[in-house]
Amino acid sequence: MRPVLSYVAAALPVDIALEEQFTTKAQQRHAAKFGMWCWLITELLLFGGLLLVATVLRVLHPASVSAAATHLKFWIGASNTVVLICSSLTMSGAINASRLGLQTLMVRCMLATGGLGSVFLLLKAYEYYRDYQEHMVPFLDWRPYALPHDHASRLFINDYFAATGLHGVHLITGIAILLVLTRQASRAGYLSLHQNRIEIFGLYWHFIDLVWIIVFPTLYLVNRG
Amino acid sequence: MTPDFVRSMRVPVLVCAALLGLLGGNLLLGQFAFPGAGYFEAALSGVMVLLLLFFSMELIREPPVIRFFGVAGFLWVAIMFVMTLTDYLTR
Repeated sequence: MRPVLSYVAAALPVDIALEEQFTTKAQQRHAAKFGMWCWLITELLLFGGLLLVATVLRVLHPASVSAAATHLKFWIGASNTVVLICSSLTMSGAINASRLGLQTLMVRCMLATGGLGSVFLLLKAYEYYRDYQEHMVPFLDWRPYALPHDHASRLFINDYFAATGLHGVHLITGIAILLVLTRQASRAGYLSLHQNRIEIFGLYWHFIDLVWIIVFPTLYLVNRG
Repeated sequence: MTPDFVRSMRVPVLVCAALLGLLGGNLLLGQFAFPGAGYFEAALSGVMVLLLLFFSMELIREPPVIRFFGVAGFLWVAIMFVMTLTDYLTR
């Protein structure tokens, strides 16, 4: 029978290597986190603009936006929200395991996070495919649009593709970085030199989840009524 | 899994359960769409964002300057929304 406390013996020293431009390791950790937060705020403003467009369209053309929103795949969006919330939990698991020096567990949590991110992308790709089949891709010239005389709905759907597409690009980037980081983090001695990289990346992953938690109600939910 | 790890996962698990519960609430509201449901949905989503921000992203444990930047980012987006909607809603 497999022992429950199978990672007890795997606890490794946890630290970071001091770079020459910093006085202390605490300062280095602080600077890295602060830099990440500054960047995430610019990302928030980027998504904020796209979501503001959707909100303004809803205010100006509620009927058109409702008509378009009923074509969105509500349950795929909801399932994807569950998937990303679970991926945030596994990412928190990776961060906590890294802090405790549990390298094997950390790597497994990171792989689980990447797997859940991939599930999100697969569901999103299927959703786009269904949109294509239902003629809900107004920016394709060769494909007739399902609501041809409703120009406001066309704007809303274009904004939907811009916001979810941009989020998808962030997720693809996140998975790519996560895989590279997982490979690096599985090497001996990684946690004694670069533990804070797991925490910094974790901020990015949680941010992807946070953005989706705003995107889902803004595009899918509040426009259904 | 060590006892320390299990202990450290208490907050993330609680946050995950809360997020799933709030999402369930939002999905229920989406099924029984009634006038004003959008406000409740936005409020539940706001709570979800705060949970992620303060507990998953651990803003609550960060030094004041990082907390300030994290909150300021959302404040800036809020200003953008309020000013734009003030224009469109009062035309």
